Amino acid sequence: MNLPIRLGSFLAAALFCWGIQTWAMGSLPFNLQRLIALAGLYVVLAVSLNLINGITGQFSIGHAAFYQVGAYLAGYFSIHNFNPQGMPPWLWLILMMILGALGASLAGLVVGLPSLRLRGDYLAIVTLGFGEIIRIFVQNTKELGGSYALDKIPKIQSLWLIWGLAIVCIAVCRNLLKTAHGLSFLAVREDEVASSAMGVNVTKVKVMAFVLGSGFAGAAGALLAHWETSITPQTFSMDVSFIILTMVVLGGTGSITGSVLAALVLFYLPEYLRNVSAISGSTLVAVTLSVITAVAVMKRLVDHYHRPMKQRVIAYLATIVGSAILGVVLNIAFRGVESLAKASFTGDKLRLVIFATTLIILMLLRPQGIFAHHEFSWDWVRRLFRRPAPTPGATS
Amino acid sequence: MSAPGSDRPVVLQLTDATIKFGGLTAVNQVSFELFQGDLFGLIGPNGAGKTTCFNLITGVYRPTSGKIAYQGNSIGGLPPNKICKLGIARTFQNIRLFGALSAIENVMVGGHLRDPSSLLSALSYFPRAIHETARLREQARELLRIVNLEDVAEVRSRDLPYGKQRRLEIARAMATGCNLILLDEPAAGMNPFEKEDLVKVVRRIRDEYQKTVLLIEHDMKFVMNLCERIVVLDHGEEIAQGPPEAIRNNPKVIEAYLGEAV
Repeated sequence: MNLPIRLGSFLAAALFCWGIQTWAMGSLPFNLQRLIALAGLYVVLAVSLNLINGITGQFSIGHAAFYQVGAYLAGYFSIHNFNPQGMPPWLWLILMMILGALGASLAGLVVGLPSLRLRGDYLAIVTLGFGEIIRIFVQNTKELGGSYALDKIPKIQSLWLIWGLAIVCIAVCRNLLKTAHGLSFLAVREDEVASSAMGVNVTKVKVMAFVLGSGFAGAAGALLAHWETSITPQTFSMDVSFIILTMVVLGGTGSITGSVLAALVLFYLPEYLRNVSAISGSTLVAVTLSVITAVAVMKRLVDHYHRPMKQRVIAYLATIVGSAILGVVLNIAFRGVESLAKASFTGDKLRLVIFATTLIILMLLRPQGIFAHHEFSWDWVRRLFRRPAPTPGATS
Repeated sequence: MSAPGSDRPVVLQLTDATIKFGGLTAVNQVSFELFQGDLFGLIGPNGAGKTTCFNLITGVYRPTSGKIAYQGNSIGGLPPNKICKLGIARTFQNIRLFGALSAIENVMVGGHLRDPSSLLSALSYFPRAIHETARLREQARELLRIVNLEDVAEVRSRDLPYGKQRRLEIARAMATGCNLILLDEPAAGMNPFEKEDLVKVVRRIRDEYQKTVLLIEHDMKFVMNLCERIVVLDHGEEIAQGPPEAIRNNPKVIEAYLGEAV
C-alpha cells in the first residue's frame, strides 16, 4: 500500500471539507449554504443507491425510505436527548449519524432479505411498497409529528460533516470496486447463477449491499434532520426516491463518478432554473422547435454516424450551431405573431418542464448514462491528451 | 463393473441420485463414481438429464432422493457456493460469463472464494485486501495463459468470440482452486481446430494440474478421444457405463443415441 498516497488523499479530503465549511459558512447567504448542504446529501444518496442498483444490480427504488428512517430516528432521539452542555455539537451529530445509519441499515436488512428471492421488477415493487409503508407509518404516528412535521430538532449545521460523509461514501464504494470483493458484487449483478457456482455467497453480497447502501442514506437523513430542524413525511415522498434513481441511471448505472456528477447536476438544475429571467412565447416556441431539431438530428448521428472521433465531433458541433441558427431565425419570424410575442413565461414556471425535457434528451442520446460504466481516473485524463493507441486483441 | 481407477481415491459418488420436477423424473436413480484423476464423460441424447445431473452435483437443484457424496461427504442439498468451496467447479452449456467484466476479472471472481481478506478490509482499502487482489490478478493471468487467452485479458468478456468465451469459462472454473471440474459441452460451437486445442487444454488440466474432469459432450469423436470412462444417460436413466470401446459397441447405446454408423 502506498502510504504517501493514502495520507495525501486524507489530507486533500480534510482540506476540502475545511475549505467548503469556511468558505460557505463565512461568506454565502443562508439559502446557498442550504443548497450546498443538500447537494452533498444528494451525492451520498445517489452514490449509496448506486451501490445497490448499479454495482450489485438490485433494482431498489425506495431509497428515500432509508433516508427517512435515518432522519426521523436521529431527529426524534435528538429532540429528547440533546444536551448542548454535554458535548460539542459536532460530536453529537456524528453520534446521531451513526444512529441513523444503524437504524437505516436494519431497515435495509429487512428489505434486503426479500431481495434474495425477488428479481428485477418484483424487487422494485417491494422496495417501492416499503418506502410507502415507512412514509405512511410516520404520517400516522402522532409522536413523530404525523403529517405535519417533526420539529424543534436541535439545529446543528455542519457542512464539513455532510461533505465528509459524501467523501467517505464515495471512498468506500471506490475501495470496494478496486478489490476482488467488488468484483463479486459486480458478478452478482451480471449473473447470479454463475456467481454462486463460482463460490460467491450471493445472499451475503446482496444483503451487504442493502445494509451498506441504506446505512449511508440513513446517515444522510440524520444530517438533514439536524440541518433543517423540521422534517415532514413529504420531504421523503416517492418522487425523492425517483430523483435519486434518476441520478444513478443518468450518471451511468454502476459508475460512482457518474452518480456524483448526475447528483450535482440534477440537484442544481431545477434550482438554477428558478432564476432564469422571463422569456416571451415566441422565444419559447422557437427554442422548443430548435431543440427538437437538434435532438432529432443528433439521435440519428449517434445511432448511424460511425466515423472517427474528429468527424463525429464536427458533425455534432454543426448540428448544434445549425439548430441554434434555426432558433434565432424562428425567433425573429415568430415575433410577428402578436399573441405569442405578448405571452411571457418565467423560469420558475418552466423549470420542471425543462428538467424533464433534459432527462428525456439525455436518455435518448446517451441511454447508457453520462459515464456509462466508466470511472474517473487520472489515467483516463492522461489518455485524453494522448493519441489513442490501437487496443491489442480487441474484437469489434 | 468399472475396474480401472479403483486403486485411486473416490472423488465423487452418486448413489441412486434422483430428481423429480412434478410428474417428470429428470434423473432417475443414476449411480456412478469418479476416481481422482479421472477423465470421465457423460453422454446421451438431448433431454437425457445430463445437465440436470450437473445441476444436482453443483447444488443448483436438491436431489429428491439418493445420495451425492464428494470425497466421502454428502453434498446433496448444499448451496452452490458451498459446494464450489469444497472443490467442485463447473462451466455452463449456455455460456454464463460476467459479460461486463473483463476476461481477467472473470477469472478473479473465480479465485475470490479463497480470498482471506474481509469485506471490511476491502471497504477501507487495507493492505491485506489490496495484496489479495493483486495476488488474484496474478493467478488469473497465469490461468489465462493456460487457456491461451493472455492477450485478451483486458477485453470485456461479452466482446470475446465464442470459442474464447468457452475457454475463459474453463479458466474461471479452474481459478476456484477446484479438485473436480465439470465441463458442460465445452466443445459446442467450436470448429475442428478449436476442438483439437480444447482436447489439449483438458488433458493438461488433468495431467499437469491433477484435476478430475467430468464432461458432457455431444461430439462423439471428441468424447471417445478424450474420456477414459463414460456414462450414458437416456430419459434420465443410466443405460451404460464403461470405457469408450465398450460404449461404442453397446447395443443399448447404439439404439438410444449413437445410431448404427459410428
